[in-house]
Amino acid sequence: MNPDTAITRRSIDVRYVFMAIVGLFFLAVIVYPLSLVMIKSFSSEAGFTLENYAKIFSQDANIRALWNSVWVSCLSTLICVAAGTILAMLIVRTDIPYKSWLRMLLLLPYGIPPFIGAMAWAQLFGPVGYASKLYMSITGAMFAPWNIYSAAGVVLVLAVYQFPVVFITVSGALGRIDTSLEEAARMSGAGPFRTLIDVTLPLITPAITASALLAFVGCISNFGIPALLGFRARFFVLTTRIYSALSIPDMPLATAMAILLAIISGIPLILERRLERGKSKYTVIAGKSVRPQTMSFGGWRIPVFILVVLVALFAGVVPLLSMLLTSFLKYWGAPLELANMTSSHYKYILNLPMVTRAFRNSVFLAVSAATITMAVGALVSYMSVRAKIKGARTLDFIGTIPYAVPCTMVAIAMILAWSRPPVVLYGTIWVILAAYLVRYMPFSIRTTNATLQQVHVSLEEAARVSGAGWTQTMRDIVMPLIRPGLVAGWILVFMPALRELTMSVLLWSQGAETMGVVIYNMQDAGYTQIAAALSTLVLLVILAGNAVVRKLSKGEISI
Amino acid sequence: MEERIKVSNLVKRFGTFTAVDDVSFAVHENEFFSLLGPSGCGKTTTLRCISGLEQPTEGDIYISGQLVTSPKRNVMVPPERRGIGMVFQNYAVWPHMTVEQNMSYPLRLAKTPKEKINRKMAYLLELLELQGLEKRFPSELSGGQQQRVALGRALSTDPKVMLLDEPLSNLDAKLREQMRFELKDLQRKTGISILYVTHDQVEAMAMSDRVAVMKSGAVVQEGAPHDIYEKPKDKFVADFIGTMNFVPCSVTGRTEQGVTIRLKSGVEFGIEGSSAHEGDYTLAIRPEDIILGTERGVECEVDVRIFLGNVIEYRVRIGEDLFRVQTNSSMRLEPGDRTRAFIQNGLVFPK
Repeated sequence: MNPDTAITRRSIDVRYVFMAIVGLFFLAVIVYPLSLVMIKSFSSEAGFTLENYAKIFSQDANIRALWNSVWVSCLSTLICVAAGTILAMLIVRTDIPYKSWLRMLLLLPYGIPPFIGAMAWAQLFGPVGYASKLYMSITGAMFAPWNIYSAAGVVLVLAVYQFPVVFITVSGALGRIDTSLEEAARMSGAGPFRTLIDVTLPLITPAITASALLAFVGCISNFGIPALLGFRARFFVLTTRIYSALSIPDMPLATAMAILLAIISGIPLILERRLERGKSKYTVIAGKSVRPQTMSFGGWRIPVFILVVLVALFAGVVPLLSMLLTSFLKYWGAPLELANMTSSHYKYILNLPMVTRAFRNSVFLAVSAATITMAVGALVSYMSVRAKIKGARTLDFIGTIPYAVPCTMVAIAMILAWSRPPVVLYGTIWVILAAYLVRYMPFSIRTTNATLQQVHVSLEEAARVSGAGWTQTMRDIVMPLIRPGLVAGWILVFMPALRELTMSVLLWSQGAETMGVVIYNMQDAGYTQIAAALSTLVLLVILAGNAVVRKLSKGEISI
Repeated sequence: MEERIKVSNLVKRFGTFTAVDDVSFAVHENEFFSLLGPSGCGKTTTLRCISGLEQPTEGDIYISGQLVTSPKRNVMVPPERRGIGMVFQNYAVWPHMTVEQNMSYPLRLAKTPKEKINRKMAYLLELLELQGLEKRFPSELSGGQQQRVALGRALSTDPKVMLLDEPLSNLDAKLREQMRFELKDLQRKTGISILYVTHDQVEAMAMSDRVAVMKSGAVVQEGAPHDIYEKPKDKFVADFIGTMNFVPCSVTGRTEQGVTIRLKSGVEFGIEGSSAHEGDYTLAIRPEDIILGTERGVECEVDVRIFLGNVIEYRVRIGEDLFRVQTNSSMRLEPGDRTRAFIQNGLVFPK
């Protein structure tokens, strides 16, 4: 028995060493910077103060930004929840044709970075946008009756880019409903509409609520859309207001506003977690699944189909096409003629040192962030999910805290922590990497947790009983089984990191630009076509990445 | 007797696959009727056509004399207007409603006066032994309790017809046996006509007044349980209902009461009641129809003995063939013992 006990004791020791290292890493990279924001928001030169918070509520501009954030996010959420729920029902529960194509079209906005989406919408509905020009040429009017650079524009575009969250969640819930629950209502004497109201809707209400909360958080913490569509109209929300405060710079005010933003977006996330946990009440024994009951539209089938196609095209395809078109246009606002088309913008950007540099930076950052967070995530997951080591749950918790922290606050935390000795990272690419590590840590822990939970512990035990040691079990059994999940998770961090804007726009410096920053700066400086050409390239990379993930996960995961 | 359900020439195709192929039967007043068959035989599709949840390709369905489904005459009464109760395989109790809300839902839809609903609920809660649980949610109930809630919901509007789709298959063995009695008892008390779908032949035999055995979309045999058990129409029914020994044999001649059988090994014996011509057949013998330790019969050798409590099961070798034999006799035979076996009953089917 002696050799066995020795092995066991030694392997536990190794695990605790790993845990200590990860713990220190989390303390330095996550806990320390984020708590600095908290401390800074309550301090002045004299010490503890509430002055910074008082400042938010004493300046009209700040109060307005806060109020704008809230109502814009609420309205956007309302719109995308209504649209997402209705479209999910149409796709899952009716007999309209080409459902899988429609679903793909509707999910297209999910893969597009919101700030690129905002640019595309501006190209469509801006003062000289394609749709505006079409309207003017048809009606002969001097102006289009709409203005995308406005609060309404921000609300609409936010809704478009949060809509997929609702659509995915609600259609998933609809698909999981046991159809016999609805059939039982029919047998009890309820017609199709009564069944929808009395049974279907109550059953998907948790999903609708959860996705509404997530959509709200997505709206209120978004920076790109209100920045690109709101600045021009001097319409500010919290995120853009924090950006302005940082460029003054008024650090204490920025920290206080960031904390406020974190609180407003944190509450819905806590509620969502609660909902997730309370789900068990709604789960019942599921029997064999029958074909999902679909409602027949009869003669309305084709008109409804056309309507959905139009919505789907407008949400995804049309903005992309206008982006593509713009990237070939000689100058912004030029009439759409073949003579006005050129590929010179692509030649220009490919020869611009800044662009190649930014591309290299983004790839480096995305690869590093994905690799490091996945490695740490796998370690934490293994210890908390599988080995169930004391203290590992705490690590798991700390690692997922940043999920509730808006990107803006993460960026501020990095500035506070890494811009003075002993460790000065600010002004280099490393501060951006630090921010990415904080931000994407929760995503990788979640993926690795889910992946590990799918590998039943008995598979490992069977290997041990067959005579394999711990390391051998890891190599022969666990790794091969979790590899697809790890690879998919890696790409799920890599893709958003590749086109990240909110954090890098606050942390970039000369020589440490990212793709998102270059596109944003080009657009901001009025080089619409250059920005469009760059965006098109980024979108191509995203499309290719999406194809890879789909293939790896056999269609279960897509970006 | 009045026909509560009448199905004539029902056909249901899914694309090129024919799930139900020209099925006809009737369920009478106060009758417990089972559709029995292996999975995929079309029994559930037939039930769903009767409920109105599925539209058949061809055929007419009448409920209490009224035509409710007829593709030919373009009649399709929606499920909610057929006035039938239905219990689903997975119960389908609504997780967002309490026991009471679940069971009273059909009554509330029918705009029943409040005090009448209360009276009905009290009656059902007592009948189904659910008193005290009326405010509970389904997730707080056991499988058996959820199942009774589903039954209560189906019974609440006093339907004349109730459809049950494998309602016991999700329960554990003990509870399943208990529920068999309760269902039968319930049917007697309420006088309802029940159409029951199951793949469990013991269940169907135990509860039904009549059984229709289905195979690949068609009814193979219809009749009272004991008739089907004793006189299975073909090899499929014989195999599906109860336990059966099948061995190849040939008929070598006729006797006064039946025929003479010869096994592969040359062993010969007679069976009664058959009038098969000479030729090659499959012999089918129930385990309880072989009597061991008699003076008459053929020689055999005990191979294995299994003690099952109320019965002892042997595997014996007659010539070269092995047979399962069930006996409740107190006689103990050991493996290797030689004795005689008398074949009391047997059937021959074409190969």
